[in-house]
Amino acid sequence: MKFLSVALAVYKKEIIDALRDRRTMLIVLVTGVLMGPLILIALSGFIASLESRAEQREVYVSGLDHGPSLRNYFERQTWTVKAAPVDFEAQMRSSKFADPVVVVPEDFETGILHGDTPVVELVIDSANKQSASTAPRVAQLLGGFSRERAALSLAMRGVSRVLLDQMQVEERDLASTQTRAIRITGMLPFFVLMAVLYGALNAALDTTAGERERGSLEPLVMNPADSLALVLGKWGAVASVGMMVALLNCFSFLPAQWLLRSDTLQAMFQFGWREALMFLVVLLPFAAALSAVLMAVAIRCKSFKEAQASTAFLILGVSLMPMMTLFNQSGDEGWHLWVPALAQNTLMTQVLKGEDFTLPQLAVPLLVCALLTAGGLWFVSHHLRRAAVK
Amino acid sequence: MITIEHLARSFKAAASPRKGWSLKRTPAPVVHAVRDVDFAAPDGRITGLPGPNGAGKTATLRMLAGLIAPDAGRITVDGVDVASRPLEALARMGVLSDSRGLYTRLTARENIVYYGALQGMTRDAAHHRAESLARMLDMYALLERRTDGFSQGERMKTALARALVHDPANIVLDEPTNGLDVVATRALRESLRFLRSPEGGGKCIVFSTHIMQEVERLCDSVVVVSQGLSVAAGTVAELLERTGQQDFEEAFVKLAFAHEDAIGTIGKGVPA
Repeated sequence: MKFLSVALAVYKKEIIDALRDRRTMLIVLVTGVLMGPLILIALSGFIASLESRAEQREVYVSGLDHGPSLRNYFERQTWTVKAAPVDFEAQMRSSKFADPVVVVPEDFETGILHGDTPVVELVIDSANKQSASTAPRVAQLLGGFSRERAALSLAMRGVSRVLLDQMQVEERDLASTQTRAIRITGMLPFFVLMAVLYGALNAALDTTAGERERGSLEPLVMNPADSLALVLGKWGAVASVGMMVALLNCFSFLPAQWLLRSDTLQAMFQFGWREALMFLVVLLPFAAALSAVLMAVAIRCKSFKEAQASTAFLILGVSLMPMMTLFNQSGDEGWHLWVPALAQNTLMTQVLKGEDFTLPQLAVPLLVCALLTAGGLWFVSHHLRRAAVK
Repeated sequence: MITIEHLARSFKAAASPRKGWSLKRTPAPVVHAVRDVDFAAPDGRITGLPGPNGAGKTATLRMLAGLIAPDAGRITVDGVDVASRPLEALARMGVLSDSRGLYTRLTARENIVYYGALQGMTRDAAHHRAESLARMLDMYALLERRTDGFSQGERMKTALARALVHDPANIVLDEPTNGLDVVATRALRESLRFLRSPEGGGKCIVFSTHIMQEVERLCDSVVVVSQGLSVAAGTVAELLERTGQQDFEEAFVKLAFAHEDAIGTIGKGVPA
């Protein structure tokens, strides 16, 4: 009974203490709440610009006068033909000009007439995303011209065009709208994880290394209270702050969807109450474990500054783990669920894809989080008294 | 009643840095902070532990509070063994330790009531006690203020009230007058005298200090600590008589440092 009342007293005090640190709390909460909308707005802006470029049907040509037949074809396909700037190569290299450019050689028209195969260059800068994304469409347009010419010459000789096509290729895309969207919304779980981390970080450091630095830890442990009860109260407060950030963050995506400018993204990003709750199921145990581990690292540090330096590797770990899925092309593997941060990232990505995770899938990270929490709490309570006098 | 019997504790000092690129590190020297401290502090009396800096006062008081375990010796508080029943012993003590950090975002009252809760007091009892302590320590006006920006004296008063919130029978103070001005020191002295008196509860009060004036004015009995040893014990008058001095400061120097000369160099920094 005394154990619980002590833990509760510590919890209450730490929460009051954290809430009164208005500036820090405000920054943590505002970033937590604003992050969802901000990321989505940025993404929708990006996609909208891609879409508008795709719909533009504009083609830039260098040496326009050398290929009237090509120009005629482009215009028949309702494309707007524009002359490329003279120094387009230099402009492309310096990213001032992003569209692909068709370079028509001088002898194009005569070459076509004589049945030669003149070389038309399609200049792109594959390092430039916009240039790379529109290039296939221009290439297709050029291919169309080539096929049309071929069909005409065959027709003149009385040969059916069908002879050229010995088979038909039809694409069937298995990806749903949401799985396709993952390419774009895939970075959301990473930002959510970081928000939880930074939410818990300050409180975790303040209740451990901060107490040591202020000289309030020594008098604290001179109370006839079990170390574990003190640590439980502190951890409860830190985890609460982390979980609150997780909560705000997840639910901020709901109203954020109204702000989406891009219809495509709106169709791809299906995030309702159900998804928000599933995110939370994944995030809450993670916030608990993260708080315990942060406290365990910080309790060995004499000052807040030292603790910030020591937790840097943890922050790096949490931010790098989700990247594994970017570098690793072999897809999700079983062991991913055993790695903290990576597991949460995997499950949240799954939710964004519109696929539910199963209970056994959730059980593994849950177990890992429980073990980390228990280990962290044991470590802090074990070192609390020792830390107080050093 | 606090009894300390033949207490000893040594620490490993921080290792000296490596020389140049050498991988060899000189072994960390062992510092015998407390070698044999032995005294009893009865109820209703103020027992002073004067000693020079580094004499082992703070280490002794930390062992008393169960923060560090002694290498040898035994400490009991009202008959409760600190080593085997630390929480029970702590419940009988109010300790104002060397570091007395407050929570600056909480008010003085919240700081005091928080410790009351940790001591297992009810909310009402803790608030009631905070008010009566504030009256005794003349800090009533401070109660509802956040402790951020408190003066040294105001901080000390709050820390003392926090340590005494559960009305402990034994009060342990580590250099309580450090950084206090004359008025605050006098007020503290008055408070301690009151706590010692039968009306104040006849508390057992132990405090360490390196200010001889404090000892002379306040202590009923004195245990001189030097080089980790309790070298002399008695009332101020007895110690003056034993050393044949008129001035207590002279008597203290004679008691504390005569012993140090005898020990010579073995006291500090014996390699492990």
